[in-house]
Amino acid sequence: MRAFVTAVFAFLYLPIALVVLFSFNAGRHASEFTGFSVQWYGTALSNPFLVEALKNSLFIATTSALLAAVCGTAAALGLARVGVRTRAVFDALLGAAIVVPGVVIGISTLVALVQLFAVVNPFLASIWPGDQPPKLSLGYGSIIAAHGLFSMALVTMIVGTRLGSLDRNLVEASSDLYATPLTTFRSIVLPQIMPAVVAGFLLAFTFSFDDFIVAFFVAGAQTTLPIYVFASIRRGVTPEINAIATIVLVASVLLVVLAQWQLRQRKPSN
Amino acid sequence: MHGNRFRHNFLTALLLAPATAWLVVFLVLPFIAIAIFSVGERAPEGGYQAAFTFAQYANLPARATAFWNTMVLAPVGALACLLVAYPVAYYLALRAPARWRLILLALVVIPFWTSLLMRTYAWMYILGGRGIPALLAFVGIEDVRLINTPGAVLLGIVYGYLPLMILPIYVSLERLDRRLLEASADLGATPLSTFVGVTLKLSLPGVMTGFSLVMILLLGEYLIPTLLGGGKVFFIGNALVDLFLQSRNWPFGSAIAITLVAVSVVVLIAANRISTRVSGARRVDLI
Amino acid sequence: MSKSYRDGLPISPEKFVDQLMRLKRGSIGRRDFLGLTGLGIATAVMAREIGIMPTPAFAAENLGDRMSIATWPNYHDPQTFENFKKDTGVAVEVNVFGSNEEMLAKLQAGASGWSLFVPTNYTISTYKKLGIIEPLDMAKLPNFDGTQEDPRFTSEGTIDKVIYAVPKNWGTTGFAVNTKKLTKPMTSWKEFWDTAMAEGDGRTMVHDYQLTTIGNALKYYGYSFNSLKQDELAKAEELLLKVKPHLFAVSSDYQPGMRAGDAWMTMCWTNDGAQLHRDIPEIAYVLGKEGGEIWTDFYAIPKDAPNKPAGYALLNYLMNPQVAVKEHLANGAPSTDARVNKLLPKEVLDNPILYPAADLLTPLEFGAAATLTDPGRAELMARFKSA
Repeated sequence: MRAFVTAVFAFLYLPIALVVLFSFNAGRHASEFTGFSVQWYGTALSNPFLVEALKNSLFIATTSALLAAVCGTAAALGLARVGVRTRAVFDALLGAAIVVPGVVIGISTLVALVQLFAVVNPFLASIWPGDQPPKLSLGYGSIIAAHGLFSMALVTMIVGTRLGSLDRNLVEASSDLYATPLTTFRSIVLPQIMPAVVAGFLLAFTFSFDDFIVAFFVAGAQTTLPIYVFASIRRGVTPEINAIATIVLVASVLLVVLAQWQLRQRKPSN
Repeated sequence: MHGNRFRHNFLTALLLAPATAWLVVFLVLPFIAIAIFSVGERAPEGGYQAAFTFAQYANLPARATAFWNTMVLAPVGALACLLVAYPVAYYLALRAPARWRLILLALVVIPFWTSLLMRTYAWMYILGGRGIPALLAFVGIEDVRLINTPGAVLLGIVYGYLPLMILPIYVSLERLDRRLLEASADLGATPLSTFVGVTLKLSLPGVMTGFSLVMILLLGEYLIPTLLGGGKVFFIGNALVDLFLQSRNWPFGSAIAITLVAVSVVVLIAANRISTRVSGARRVDLI
Repeated sequence: MSKSYRDGLPISPEKFVDQLMRLKRGSIGRRDFLGLTGLGIATAVMAREIGIMPTPAFAAENLGDRMSIATWPNYHDPQTFENFKKDTGVAVEVNVFGSNEEMLAKLQAGASGWSLFVPTNYTISTYKKLGIIEPLDMAKLPNFDGTQEDPRFTSEGTIDKVIYAVPKNWGTTGFAVNTKKLTKPMTSWKEFWDTAMAEGDGRTMVHDYQLTTIGNALKYYGYSFNSLKQDELAKAEELLLKVKPHLFAVSSDYQPGMRAGDAWMTMCWTNDGAQLHRDIPEIAYVLGKEGGEIWTDFYAIPKDAPNKPAGYALLNYLMNPQVAVKEHLANGAPSTDARVNKLLPKEVLDNPILYPAADLLTPLEFGAAATLTDPGRAELMARFKSA
């Protein structure tokens, strides 16, 4: 069993190792290793487009995952309070949000938004008192929302299941003891659903950070890291992309180690 | 009493409002848009032209092969993923030392934070002429071709979706009451019958969740078959990308998209039913 | 010099406030804001002061500090954009596309964000019909000299006497062969397809592109590359379906496969052929003697370009023969500009990949807009790919 698990981890990290290896390539191509060099780290960090793409991706993934976690949790709590019919409608919509393939989400959102803007923008212009009315356009907002849709549905379902298995006696006991609903929520419900919320957040972040096809359509003039990577790979200059990927990798490993260390500090018995 | 009820309803509405707005603008509106497209016609230069016809739906058999390939790929890919993922999840949940568990779990997710494209291109290199075949040539086995084969596509799929399968199974196994396993062993059950009778049975909701999630995502997959399969195997995701980006036949693409979503919803409901029957759980537990 | 210096002075207070408001509303990013309000200009002024840049025609306009161009993979000398940035302070972001249709789809949907892009000849009339490209203001392109362009390659950029696009370079579509693996000399599309089913079994690539894949299959029978005739397309389909199981890949990204030695033969555009041959001499580039495709890539500016001044500036920069000659040497596709050809080393002009013999060029056809947008050919391609 251990051998098998070790093999699976090797399988998971073999391509990653290659990505890291080529980040130290002296040559221009990621297909021939011609010597060791750290030059691509310098090139990557001084490339404003690449750095901005990374920043964009971090910002978009964090925001959409946060929004998805908050709205999804709220929706799950709300759904626990409604009748069967409303619930069925929501369940169907949430299910649909999960099953629609990315390419369809991308193109249909783009088409719908362009139509929506065509109606909303002239309207805004007609009621706007100043010279330069606000103009809705594609960009951060549309990527965040399009990414968050899938994640929010996922969070709602995950948290909803947790809520279903929540110990109701505790909730009742709490209100019998005259705790306000808010206190009950904070001290009883929230701690129990928190693991599901965190799991949902992480999934949402990962999904958004790695998505290409949805962003390709709805990004407008913005570039995210996957869009940049897609273009660069076709252009044949990957070592700087590899360098950025390696930096992201090292940062996430450090984050995990830090989290582990924190947990151990807090609970020395474990 | 009235005031109380009003407050109850108001709070409920408040909790549901953001999600509802989100679903309406980014799911219902886009869905209406492609529903309208799907009864339209392709403009002469490509794109959409208003009409009311079911010709696009009547034309669906033109993509029958792609539908068929997808219907084979999705369950086979999910099954292959499951076979690799289960032992890993089992080890992480029940065998790994507790203090390593979080780290090992994180190690499963971290590859996902490197772009899928880069990881897939790395596989193209590993399977391509300068990778494993070059090693094989070194020991005398010449001209082996691994890239652009169905095997390469399957490998890419298992690789790309493994964490999505491991996580739900891990969660269901981790909640498992270990005393049950001990009791089963104490009652003289063999390890195998304990595994089948207790462990496997209790982890089924997680298995079903991972399986249906991976299968549904595979229904729309197009990148892995394109890069590791050399574009020779055509799935419905490839058909969609082609119709929207290459031939720009948006109405036909929309009709296929709507059909695909309908099929996926049916699959999801069926998976739900099966998992409810098998495990007695209420709904698919997505994590 | 003094005029351009005054133009480089810090932004006026009114303009600064205007930009600040735009930043607050979020219609521009912080970086654009810095660029629009001075950073980019400062760099440009410095460049001008130290005399890197000869007094350019676009000095009168605020170029901002960034723009993006949509183009093809492996198509430019990366140094070109670095030099342009040094000269003007404008950083160029390169968006790379796999096909004209992807570009068209994105531009048609709006808000692409490009200030310059590289359409191929047969798409220009479609862009014009859809009203999404800008008639070019030739006053902003002093480096372009129409009299030096070969009209064979430039005609499709001009519609109703209005210039919408100026040519970048031209090329052909032939096939590349690894002559160490496939030793039999080949000269025709008939041999290409026959070899794909024999010695080249499992090692041949065709484009993921209906125009060329179907067009070159039509050439097997000697039909027109642009044929829309039912019976001729049926024959081409028959051939394609027969070849399909023998192919290595259906992909327009064929350089990695050829370089790694996995693929031995592929449909190939001139510039890729030249690059492959330069790095790996045993890879030869062949033009089918039955004919096939000849093409011209153009530069054009979208109507909704966010940074038109920079778009024109870069276009003018690229039209400078000294720059174009370096571009030519990097990407390998022949130039349409006689001034550039004069600057080229003799061995380039003698390179038969780039400048094929006249008898090979004569039968070649330009792809037609109708060929590209024909739904019948699109469905044929889908049947081929899903077979």
